[in-house]
Amino acid sequence: MDINVLAFLVPAGIISCFLPLSDASSFMVLYLVTAVYFSGVMVRLMLVLAPAACILSGIALSSAFDVLTRSMKFQLSKLFDDGPAISGNGSPNGSSASTVNTSSSKNEKTEKSEAAPKEKQSKKNRRKDKEVTESVSVKPKKEKRLSVLPLEASIVSTLLLIALGGFYVVHCVWAAAEAYSAPSIVLTSRSREGLHVFDDFREAYAWLSHNTDVDDKVASWWDYGYQTTAMANRTVIVDNNTWNNTHIATVGTAMSSPEKAAWEIFDSLDVKYVLVVFGGLVGYPSDDINKFLWMVRIGGGEFPHIKEPDYLRDGQYRVDAQATPTMLNCLMYKLCYYRFVETDGKGFDRVRGYEIGKKHFKLTHFEEVFTTHHWMVRIYKLKPQKNRIRGKLKKLKSSSKTSSTLAAGRKKNPWQ
Amino acid sequence: SQAAQAAEDGIRVLSAEKRIDLTGPIVKVFLTLKVQNTATGADASHVLIAFTPAEADHLAIVKATRAEGKRKKKTYIPLPVSPADPATAAPNGARLYSISLPTPLKPTDTTTVEVFYVLTHSLEPFPAEITQSESQLVYYRDSAVLLSPYHVQEQGTYVKTPSSRVESFTRVDPTSRSGPDVKYGAYGNQLPYAYSPIILHYENNHAFAVVEELVRKVEISHWGNVQVTEHYKLKHGGAKHKGVFSRLEYQARQSISGASSFKNLLARLPPRVHSVYYRDEIGNISSSHLRSDSYKSELEIEPRYPLFGGWHCTFTIGYGMPLQDFLFESADGRRFANLTFGCPLLNTVVDNLTIKVVLPEGSKSPQAVVPFETEQHLETSYSYLDVVGRTTVVIKKKNVVGEHNVPFQVYYEFSPIFMLAEPLMLVTAVLLFFAACIVYLHTDLSIAKSQASS
Repeated sequence: MDINVLAFLVPAGIISCFLPLSDASSFMVLYLVTAVYFSGVMVRLMLVLAPAACILSGIALSSAFDVLTRSMKFQLSKLFDDGPAISGNGSPNGSSASTVNTSSSKNEKTEKSEAAPKEKQSKKNRRKDKEVTESVSVKPKKEKRLSVLPLEASIVSTLLLIALGGFYVVHCVWAAAEAYSAPSIVLTSRSREGLHVFDDFREAYAWLSHNTDVDDKVASWWDYGYQTTAMANRTVIVDNNTWNNTHIATVGTAMSSPEKAAWEIFDSLDVKYVLVVFGGLVGYPSDDINKFLWMVRIGGGEFPHIKEPDYLRDGQYRVDAQATPTMLNCLMYKLCYYRFVETDGKGFDRVRGYEIGKKHFKLTHFEEVFTTHHWMVRIYKLKPQKNRIRGKLKKLKSSSKTSSTLAAGRKKNPWQ
Repeated sequence: SQAAQAAEDGIRVLSAEKRIDLTGPIVKVFLTLKVQNTATGADASHVLIAFTPAEADHLAIVKATRAEGKRKKKTYIPLPVSPADPATAAPNGARLYSISLPTPLKPTDTTTVEVFYVLTHSLEPFPAEITQSESQLVYYRDSAVLLSPYHVQEQGTYVKTPSSRVESFTRVDPTSRSGPDVKYGAYGNQLPYAYSPIILHYENNHAFAVVEELVRKVEISHWGNVQVTEHYKLKHGGAKHKGVFSRLEYQARQSISGASSFKNLLARLPPRVHSVYYRDEIGNISSSHLRSDSYKSELEIEPRYPLFGGWHCTFTIGYGMPLQDFLFESADGRRFANLTFGCPLLNTVVDNLTIKVVLPEGSKSPQAVVPFETEQHLETSYSYLDVVGRTTVVIKKKNVVGEHNVPFQVYYEFSPIFMLAEPLMLVTAVLLFFAACIVYLHTDLSIAKSQASS
């Protein structure tokens, strides 16, 4: 996000707004100052700055072209009409009023002085003699001394300003194509063989859409809610529009809890599949491990048994050998790094830049049903509960099994 | 095997050789029959072949040829095959097909007929569900002796499997097996409708690609383009996948893991295709390759994910072809479009095929000529700038295999004046718009009289 050339045209525009200051121009200045303040706080708000910057730059360019074209018109008319007569008359006038003229012409010049090739021109112009035109009689009360520049300077400056505008257009088209056209669901990277496409998200959603039952529910972090609903056509637990903080906190708590507790939360929500996004194999930075701190914070905000310091080592979230045991046992860690060590033997996470802490582990309550081509989306299924018979009662074949399961202890309710 | 009534036309099969090819997902059987007319006085004009009810339901195509000429100048003449008259009785529901001989067989003459038929969905995966690291094993059920309405004097059956892993096979002596081939031979003097059931349990990891539904729309435009759009619903028809799918195992241990899965398919398209696209409901699928040369184009498509047993996917393939390759004029002045029937994907079975040929607006009396049995009806479709709609010929067929990819023709009448219909419509519309502008600018709609009006 940048405003490129407008960065120095905007201050020039502010100055133009003050000559003269009307209601409209004072509104523009106030709008710009407010927008600059907010953009400084959060860079995404440059969206608000953009119209203000464009308008003020337009005002600056308009004043500049005004002076230049007026100079050209005057110089050309002088060349064709009067010839040497006025130059003789003009010099004594020019010398007396030259101080006033230089100051006002300096104002006009500052609007384009920052452009490097034109600086030499403007310095040269200040040393040349200037002509003073008769003021225009539109406003008789204000005697405005309008300055005029030499013909060559005006022509070159006009051409340079047009070239500046051209370069700005080229830059904007390039920025729109490269930075603003990334669909963020299909990622590309350039390699020696050309363009390599990472279509993992659509692969996962197409798989979910065709190979699961229509009523199956998918639990994931809320970022992928709308995508799952639209492309995979499955019910989700939380999506981008969920305003109920407790819903999101429930999913966050489940992702931060150990496997068994997470299974129980998901089972109570009737979830069948859990989806996580993992960028460690290919280096995709916006994955769920990087978003994990929000899951802990939001979950901890609602459910007091999730405490953020349990996951921090020296104030940082880590997943390597120095990570806390709570972090290494939580569901998000396990689902992301399940069998990851077998890809390269060491489990080197390309996004975090170090080897993971817990490398060899098995999943007890979930089973992997699909992982995409570059391991970016991993889908797991909740395993059904096993029929458990307590050791002592195994010998009794005829005794009722229902009583034994009831006596086997109540399931721990994580919310009480 | 019951002793049914003797065949009326007195044909005896002197020797029968049945070669069963079980290497792919579709069963292909080559049957060579040397028949002799033993009746006295009557010429035999056709030869009957019999199928069990199960085989007849899954029969995709039956073809018969006869060799003419000597060793080096052998030519094969195709013989028409059609279901026999249902009145001819066959025991236990066996279905009969009749092959018409070009010249009737005189008494005591012999001739050799070669029959080729294809059975689909005849391999039953057993076990029905397998994990990722297991191989796919299937059952094939058939008979050791040929089911025939005639006496068979001498016969042998040769079965070819794709690999040397044959778990079990029924032994009907004399039976022998060497590597991937199993031979049930030679049996002598079998009565009509003799049947000896056998089951072969063997490993078949070939891709079981089943297209459950294919809708092909061919739009003919006289402005020079034939546009084909195909909608596929693809399924892996083998043993269902159960349990874990581990991408790690699939990528690292490719020889063991997912042996029966497939990840790409090949489609054969005509040469000179342009603007080929491959997409599904979500969007474009970028994993495809197109290679063309002067007599065919090959499109290799990779669905978004590899297909394991029981997994589905849907996609659409579309392409355009130049009109001059496909539209011709017949002898009686009608135009006809020469298109290819069937599915361009190789080695697949299509359960339900629908081909819609959309003829240009103003076409009359359409008629489709297809070399085999299909259901046809007419529809009207509406497209850009259509007033009366375009006549569409809809052809449906079930159980289509690669052998059905033969040309078929759609005849229609079209007077060239209708080509001007669309340009004239556009020209008139623009003309009326301009005329309206002219009228509007030159009329005076003000209520009060002004000095400027005259």
